[in-house]
Amino acid sequence: MSRREVSFQSRGRLDAVLVLFSLAVGVLFLRLFQLQILDWANLTAAAERNRTEMIYQTAPRGFIYDRNGAVLATNRPMFSLIYLPSHKKLEDLRPLAQELAAQLRRDPRDILASLEEATQEDSVVRLAENLPPRVMFRLSELKPVYPGVDLVMEAERYYPLGDFASHLIGYVGRMDPRDWLKLRSEGYRLDSPVGRMGIEKVFESVLRGRDGAIRMEVDAQGRLKRQLDRIPWQPGDSLTLTVNASIQEVAESALRRTISGRGAAVVLDPRNGAVLALASTPDFNLNELAASAPPGERPANPADLPEFDRAISGTYAPGSTFKIVVGAAGLNEGRFTVNDTVFCPGYFKLGRRIFKCWTWDLYHRGHGVVNWWTGFAQSCDVYFYEMGLRTGGALIEKYAGLFGLGRLTRITLPGESPGHLFGPKTLASEGRPWYDGDTVNLSIGQGGMLVTPIQMAVLISAVANGGTLWRPHYVERVHYADGGPDYVQQPEKTGEVVLKPAVWQDLRQALRLVVTSGTAHGANIAGLDVRGKTGTAQNSAGRAHSWFVAYAGPPGQPPSVAVAVLVENGGESWVYAVPIARDIFKAAFGIGKPPPWASLGLRSKPAAAPPNRDIGGGRA
Amino acid sequence: MALSHAESSWKGRVDTTFLAVTAGLLVVGSLAVVSAVRPMPHSAHIIIRHFAALAVGIAFFFFGFGFDYHVFEDQAKTIYAATLLMLLAVLIVGTTSHGHRAWLDFGFLSFQPAELARLFLILSLAAFLDRRERKIGKFSVVLGALALSLPIVGLILKQPDFSTALTFLPVIFGMLFCAGVSLTQLSVIMIFAGLTLSVPFVYTVCQVLYPHALAGSWPSLVIAAFIGGKTTLLLLGGGALVFAGLWRWAKWARLRADASLFLAGYLVLAGGLLAGIVVNRRLKPYQRDRFAAFVAPKQDLEGAAYHVRQSQIAIGSGGLLGKGLFEGTQSQLGFLPERHTDFIYAVIGEEMGFWGAVGVLLLYFLLVWRLAETARSARDRYGYLVCSGLAVMFGFELVLNVGMCVGLMPVAGIPLPLVSYGGSSLVIALWSLGIASNVHYKRYLLA
Repeated sequence: MSRREVSFQSRGRLDAVLVLFSLAVGVLFLRLFQLQILDWANLTAAAERNRTEMIYQTAPRGFIYDRNGAVLATNRPMFSLIYLPSHKKLEDLRPLAQELAAQLRRDPRDILASLEEATQEDSVVRLAENLPPRVMFRLSELKPVYPGVDLVMEAERYYPLGDFASHLIGYVGRMDPRDWLKLRSEGYRLDSPVGRMGIEKVFESVLRGRDGAIRMEVDAQGRLKRQLDRIPWQPGDSLTLTVNASIQEVAESALRRTISGRGAAVVLDPRNGAVLALASTPDFNLNELAASAPPGERPANPADLPEFDRAISGTYAPGSTFKIVVGAAGLNEGRFTVNDTVFCPGYFKLGRRIFKCWTWDLYHRGHGVVNWWTGFAQSCDVYFYEMGLRTGGALIEKYAGLFGLGRLTRITLPGESPGHLFGPKTLASEGRPWYDGDTVNLSIGQGGMLVTPIQMAVLISAVANGGTLWRPHYVERVHYADGGPDYVQQPEKTGEVVLKPAVWQDLRQALRLVVTSGTAHGANIAGLDVRGKTGTAQNSAGRAHSWFVAYAGPPGQPPSVAVAVLVENGGESWVYAVPIARDIFKAAFGIGKPPPWASLGLRSKPAAAPPNRDIGGGRA
Repeated sequence: MALSHAESSWKGRVDTTFLAVTAGLLVVGSLAVVSAVRPMPHSAHIIIRHFAALAVGIAFFFFGFGFDYHVFEDQAKTIYAATLLMLLAVLIVGTTSHGHRAWLDFGFLSFQPAELARLFLILSLAAFLDRRERKIGKFSVVLGALALSLPIVGLILKQPDFSTALTFLPVIFGMLFCAGVSLTQLSVIMIFAGLTLSVPFVYTVCQVLYPHALAGSWPSLVIAAFIGGKTTLLLLGGGALVFAGLWRWAKWARLRADASLFLAGYLVLAGGLLAGIVVNRRLKPYQRDRFAAFVAPKQDLEGAAYHVRQSQIAIGSGGLLGKGLFEGTQSQLGFLPERHTDFIYAVIGEEMGFWGAVGVLLLYFLLVWRLAETARSARDRYGYLVCSGLAVMFGFELVLNVGMCVGLMPVAGIPLPLVSYGGSSLVIALWSLGIASNVHYKRYLLA
């Protein structure tokens, strides 16, 4: 057979094939460059995620102490059932779900849904928390049967005093999945506890600490190969509050015992704005909320929730307590003097309108001839109608603003309300006219003026300290877990009310008369210089809200405690508001025995650092 | 055309680059196989089998090298008949694994005839094309070559081994191309085949992307057309009417369009529908999954797309220098599927890094280049055609396999010759290279 030679045309074709092949190899080369050089970091991370399984351990949060070292928030060990998904098929999860449902007394479908989600997301899921010991032991027998099921010990938030200072301390809970999208970059997991209210929320980054983890190598079937390393947790930093637990407890117990059970008490140190107590009722047990905070059904009005903090978010007409502002404005601007007299027949006529004095409804008579001292001590409305008209609405509004009303006190708590100023200027900005009748109403703290209890506490503190408006603060110091020097909170001024010294004198003297011979004689404590002003705020919802703002100190010394008490629908102030303030002062200055209903099992600060090993260490 | 024997020294007769490249690929491949197999149960057994196959393969290399390749041309008909017999035998007495009946089991060794069939097709197709050199411009030659290949490809599809059958197509078309057939004819065939095959492609895409298409929507119509029921008959009949109508209209409009154009159009539709029905009935679920993983990787991260993803992670995490032999987490911990066979390249990428992966690419490029050079310098047309076919075969398998590992190609279950674990593939690849060496050796000799 003859052999045929290769034509030149054919060789050209072979070259074309070779060129095509070279191009393909070039593309593969570029792809390798992309994967191994450009995407190396990403893909290495993916490979690490593949082979490592983390068992996270929530770090113990920082402790919270009151100013005397009583523990307000701590941690306790908790056993959780977790499931580490392996790369098994979804059908294989069904028997496990059945078994767990029987042990946990839950719907197997719910458990199956969690297991499937974990398998699809390839993340650890927490099936149950806070297991009773008997269930825990039975579940531990399942561990060898179903790889992936595991029990871990962790630190759980615990509030030894239960429903104590609930609004201020707040609680921790599971986060909203939407929040997690924002927080995941800060190392939060979907099941991380996070502060959801109060101090727990505001100081989340301080209290949180850094979670620990056990890194384990797993193979494609999810079998554990070996432990790679342990990342120890770092406990959160602890806080010492300026709050005095005994005062707080007295205030809360007293508020709960009022007729409506709804009210607020704010106790400040007028020398620096430190919060000694911040109480609002109704309140709630922090441990119950912390364990499980189901979103559930919410009432339409947030003020109906126990979580609503009346001390900073509740707004009320100031009532007669506002006469402090009217007096300061009129006397300082020289619109009237302390000696000017007014005849009070029990009512006041402005044109054809009649404004009654508070005595008219009770006794059907007036105060007769009154001056500054008697008018303030007896809280004569007719006297202040007259002096309010002399001073004028614009000046009263200006002084109310100077005393911090109508704006935030800037206490670092979420949800504070600025209240609402009422006066010619505010109304003009809202496009409404101002009449003399409005001035008359404003003079006794009615009309559209709205204030919060904490604003009134700051106001009365300013009277006590000679005009300084302090920003209320409740943290005394932060103890760093790493042993660094404590951070000490410094007081911060937010404003200054400048009055003539004689006017301060006249105001304080009048406040003293209220306690010694006026509407608040129930707050007169022997051996203590108590000064204050009562108030009743008319409102549409039944009985008037009662107010009492006061400050006290040992005689001859600068006042060291200022309070603002509000009892919703409490009626006349001396029934509830004044006795609450009296009990608070007694507790603050250690006078007499604490009331039997205000006994508190206060614990002292533990000598050692937070027990790192005992709470939540290691795999169970 | 006699040449002096001065050039017939050992150095001139044997392509040392070619030998070195082959040896390099075998060494890298063996290292990767040992590393990939080590964590498996019965790893020692698998490793022994690998080296036994390597020894047999080297023997076959020398067998091919020492055996005058012209025998294959003379015995082309015998070889062709043997191939058909072998493929028929595997369908009757073959053993099934991974869903296809592709192995002949001889007790002590099992053997995959499809691998040998590819080499034998190259040898017999080369003979067919060589003998028709003068008629190479005729369409009948192209059709004849296709008719020759069709039974072999069809028998492999019957196993059914879709991926292996796929590797035959570039070999057939590459050899036709290198043989010098008319480009117009080749294009017509390829366009026709392409159009026909694109119809089931559209169908599969519809099925993957619109699994819950509503009745009446266009994807549901497309899907219905390929089930082989009324819709199909309706389309076939309707299509005939439409094309006939178009032809009549073209005549009426004096467009001077040839009737064959309309016939061809109708044939594409009909052929596509029939191919689609075949795909619909023959495609295994796992094959559909692989295809789905390529078309819509996001939809299915557990199945085939998971494999591709794991392979990319393995290669990418290898970085520049690799994690070191036996140190690849993806391969050692079992995240990489089929790691010692189809995905061996990912093991190389992970454990030997960019340099290792590019090195294999380079070695392969040199191998294909040397095969092409051997073809170019072959003594005669038969040797040229055989080596061209081998070059296309090795080149295409590299592109398909590496392309799959790096996620540029759909998952096809084919090994990387010389590198992957797999006795049949290794032995046949070495034998092929032995034959190519013989072509090289004989390039100056008279027959």
